[in-house]
Amino acid sequence: MSGAVGREPVFPTRQSLGIMKSKLKGAEIGHSLLKRKSEALTKYVRAEITRRIDEAKQKMGRVMQIAAFSLAEVSYAVGGDIGYQIQESAKQARFRVRAKHENVSGVFLPQFESHTETAINDFGLTGLGKGGQQIQRCRETYARAVETLVELASLQTAFLILDEVIKVVNRRVNAIEHVIIPRTENTIKCLYYHPPSPDVAHSNPNTDINSELDELDREEFYRLKKVSGKKQRDVAEADAEILAARQKAAEKEAANNTPAVAAPSTGDTDAPDVLGEQEDNDVIF
Amino acid sequence: MEGLFFNVNAGYVEGIVRGYRNSLLTGQNYSNLTQCETIDDVKLQLGPSYGDFLAALPPNPSTSALAGKMTDKLVAEFRYLIAQSTGSTAKFLEYLTYGYMIDNIALLITGTLHERDTRELLERCHPLGWFETLPVLCVATNIEELYNSVLIETPLAAYFKSSLSHQDLDELNIEIVRNTLFKNYLEDFYNFVNTHPDFAGPTQDVMSEILQFEADRRSINITLNSFGTDLLRPERRKLYPEFGKLYPEGTLMLSRAEDVEGVALAVSANADYKSFFDAVGLSQGGGMGGMGGGPADGKSLEDLFYQKEMEMSKLVFTRQFTPAVVYGWMKLKEQEIRNVTWISECIAQNQKERIGNFISVF
Repeated sequence: MSGAVGREPVFPTRQSLGIMKSKLKGAEIGHSLLKRKSEALTKYVRAEITRRIDEAKQKMGRVMQIAAFSLAEVSYAVGGDIGYQIQESAKQARFRVRAKHENVSGVFLPQFESHTETAINDFGLTGLGKGGQQIQRCRETYARAVETLVELASLQTAFLILDEVIKVVNRRVNAIEHVIIPRTENTIKCLYYHPPSPDVAHSNPNTDINSELDELDREEFYRLKKVSGKKQRDVAEADAEILAARQKAAEKEAANNTPAVAAPSTGDTDAPDVLGEQEDNDVIF
Repeated sequence: MEGLFFNVNAGYVEGIVRGYRNSLLTGQNYSNLTQCETIDDVKLQLGPSYGDFLAALPPNPSTSALAGKMTDKLVAEFRYLIAQSTGSTAKFLEYLTYGYMIDNIALLITGTLHERDTRELLERCHPLGWFETLPVLCVATNIEELYNSVLIETPLAAYFKSSLSHQDLDELNIEIVRNTLFKNYLEDFYNFVNTHPDFAGPTQDVMSEILQFEADRRSINITLNSFGTDLLRPERRKLYPEFGKLYPEGTLMLSRAEDVEGVALAVSANADYKSFFDAVGLSQGGGMGGMGGGPADGKSLEDLFYQKEMEMSKLVFTRQFTPAVVYGWMKLKEQEIRNVTWISECIAQNQKERIGNFISVF
């Protein structure tokens, strides 16, 4: 999987490792937050919106039926077509819709509110001769039907918007869960080798033992080992020389059995007399 | 003596109408109609009386198309009658069309006020209210022109003249214009049947009663429907026809009525109307919402008025030697169209529980 996921194109440095680690942490926090948001929205949609849409739709069916029937009553009572007259005498909207916003988990949902301008009564005199009451009642019934439609419209809009938002959020959650986090982890793995138990390392070839930082580490380690080996050898040589010199001196002492006073003289002879006549290599002039 | 020479001029028309009356739907027909499941079934049931008029309808027609075809039949029959009649009978039949003319003119005035294309309005006009100069109304672009060039020539000009001038047409609500015209029309019709020498006797008796009822019904309806609107009481009073059983005391009380109780008090002098109000008022508590008749008990005041009208129209056929049978037949036919429309609406909308809410008198 990590092969498909790949890794971020970063230079294998300690700094980018740090960046990657914070990125991983951020991704995890973001993931949990988005997941929670998605769950909250889904719950809201399931529990609230769907139920209310269901109710509103059933109500709409009933109300529209009653409304259509009341229109039939009007045509019975008036005994003719009043549609044209109504259309012509209606000048201003009596039934109006106001839109406002509601915030649900960071999503702005439009909400429509209906209200009736009772002052506007454009065709109040229609059917004065006969059927006036039926017309008024029909109007009220239709006003109620439109009210239900408005309610349904705001629910449907909310449903569509929430659906879209939930899809987007879910896509983000999935992207973080399945792409960003694995990739970041992979990158970190590549950069930095956590010593796993050997069998894990073998069982999973993708656990990159060849991760670059590790390689650098090992190279460095090897270099240091080399250097320290070289140093050890040098020290050992030096020690051996000193030891040999001491042994020689001890043998000489034992052989000559010189008095203790002679000893400083030998020291004198051993130590080069810097103030002496001999040429100093360092001094060029 | 009174019917001695009636058949010379109007006997054929009366005979035809009595024949038409026999094709009206009966209670048996209605109960068959209410059993129907689809509009097609309704169409089939209507076959015997409407036959070829419904043949052109597509399968499962809309209720309005059905009603339109039924109206076509009524119109065709009425046109035949008016073509066959002469003299005072023809005049009487013309009077019957004035009501539709008023509706058509109101429609055209509404359209002209809103500067609509009047051509499409003509299609919506009731064919019975058609008169020769009606299409000329399309030419008129403003109300003054409409009045001066067109309406002045129509039989309705007299109704305009007495109470409305062309200035009023701009400002007044078209409903008030319509009701004013209708009031003048009813008064004129009433005057016509009561003064014309040919109509002395049965026509005068029966038509006076019907027109009085019509006038009272309009007064009561206007009063009830004006509650809650900006129609002022003095203006309302101008719309009441100045005859009828309620006139003058009842209409005066109606003009002062502020609520349903006031109306009920105004009509309490007349036993018929009182019983209507009792039937509606008692069963529904007499509230504002109850006066139109709630869906609960089925019968509203409007229904009771229609019922009464139909009974009176039916009784017209007991009289002989009178053109009033044409009036009765037309009202019955219109009610029949309304009934069938109602039944087919109930079937189309699957609301069978109130399907019996029609008025059948045969």
